[in-house]
Amino acid sequence: MKEVAFFAGAIGALGGAIAVIGLRNPFYSVLALIVHLVSLAGLFLLLQAEFIAAAQIVVYAGAVMVLYVFVAAYVGNVDEPLWEPIPGQRFLAPLLGVALFTEIGIAIVGSGLKAIDSEGPTVKLGFGSPEQIGKLLLERFLVAFEAASLLLLIAAVGAVVLAVRREDENAGESAG
Amino acid sequence: MLLGEVDFVESTGVMVVKSVLIFIGVFLIVPVLTVVERKLIGRFQARYGPNRVGPGGVMQPLADVGKLLGKQVFRPENAIAFLYAIAPGLVILSGILTLAIIPFGNVEDGVGLYGIDVSIGVLYFFAFSSFAFYGLLLAGWASGSKYSFLGAMRSAAQLISYEVSMGLALLGVVMMAGSLSMTSIVEAQGSIWYVVPQFVGFLIFMISGFAETNRSPFDLPEADAELVQGFQTEYGGMRFGSFLLAEYLEMFVVSGIAVTFFLGGWMGPGPPWLDPVWVVVKILSLIFVFIWVRATLPRVRYDQLMSLGWKVMLPLATLNVLVTAILVTVL
Repeated sequence: MKEVAFFAGAIGALGGAIAVIGLRNPFYSVLALIVHLVSLAGLFLLLQAEFIAAAQIVVYAGAVMVLYVFVAAYVGNVDEPLWEPIPGQRFLAPLLGVALFTEIGIAIVGSGLKAIDSEGPTVKLGFGSPEQIGKLLLERFLVAFEAASLLLLIAAVGAVVLAVRREDENAGESAG
Repeated sequence: MLLGEVDFVESTGVMVVKSVLIFIGVFLIVPVLTVVERKLIGRFQARYGPNRVGPGGVMQPLADVGKLLGKQVFRPENAIAFLYAIAPGLVILSGILTLAIIPFGNVEDGVGLYGIDVSIGVLYFFAFSSFAFYGLLLAGWASGSKYSFLGAMRSAAQLISYEVSMGLALLGVVMMAGSLSMTSIVEAQGSIWYVVPQFVGFLIFMISGFAETNRSPFDLPEADAELVQGFQTEYGGMRFGSFLLAEYLEMFVVSGIAVTFFLGGWMGPGPPWLDPVWVVVKILSLIFVFIWVRATLPRVRYDQLMSLGWKVMLPLATLNVLVTAILVTVL
């Protein structure tokens, strides 16, 4: 049962990720990305991380991707630019991709493969529960947590400021 | 895998049986709700409502379903076949999955009277209710029609605007109970139902619930006058019926969550076997409020809906959480 769930999640995650870059229509790419994120949430569930799985769906599938879908549905079907936005991208991208793959490959071969025949670490009762994660965030990682929330706050305020400025410009145009 | 703070494990057979029971039970309630709603709205408007099929019109849902099933399966030329077909399924899926966590009673003889008791509790509800958004949006986008698309965009904006206040409204209760698990939250209401100390939260939750279920006065996505049923414009037959079914399912689930969080869940006088009855009675009373409001209030304008959501509900919900947090720590 676990194997079936794992392979279903893994195939969904990989297939979704490949479809994101493979599909021509941006709207379908966004939908594929949602499939990818939901499959990842399934994999988190297999790892006993229920909270992370729920957060993954609530935050990414429920909020972030909603905005993506909005944008893709409104301004989708835009023709691809005829020029390359970043010069040399066509050659640089595969190069960087291969470099990243090699790096991750070395990391996996170096460390992860030892555990592949074992049952994996024993998980304590209540591991990954909202309670434990909350304690970690507000005690051990308090500074990082607050810094991240400050960053998000600045981003939110910035978005509001930018939106208001554009509204003023529009008002000026219509008045003039 | 999903089981959280329960100290017992149910066999797979028991879980399957109770899932099927809850599923069938709720699916039998939904058609009754449609006829009750039409009858009640009729009464509110000083007319009879459906009264031709069966005694007093009670067999009306059967006739409705027969009609919907008998219709031709139709798809507009511009529609994208695959997405057009799965959109109603997604909406129903979201309704059924969220139904699983509503507790109808406590653990009796080693069997919990609920689908599952997840340790993440209400986060599960938010995770799967967000699937409904994609159902609506795909329905509108894949129909290949302007009305559908605009309706879908409206409902999408509405859903994400009110989801935040809804979550914050529940956070107050979560802090008071000190748990996310639905059964623990009900058990924490032994002395007093949370609707009393968390009255603001209850109000915010219910108002957001109206918006989340696309019910009047926030039924803008399907505003008949401007958008001719919004995202459902191009749907017919049982696919349209699926959206209708999902709307009632969502109404049932939102009422169920409200009952669990604010109205003491299965708490009520009488022997323990009455517990599920109490839950259903409370849920049905809340659904009556849904129908009552639909018959009473006019539809709000889109900008009114948005400013209510962002400028009133969200600050109020945040304030409620803050005050609750301070009180919980101090007391």
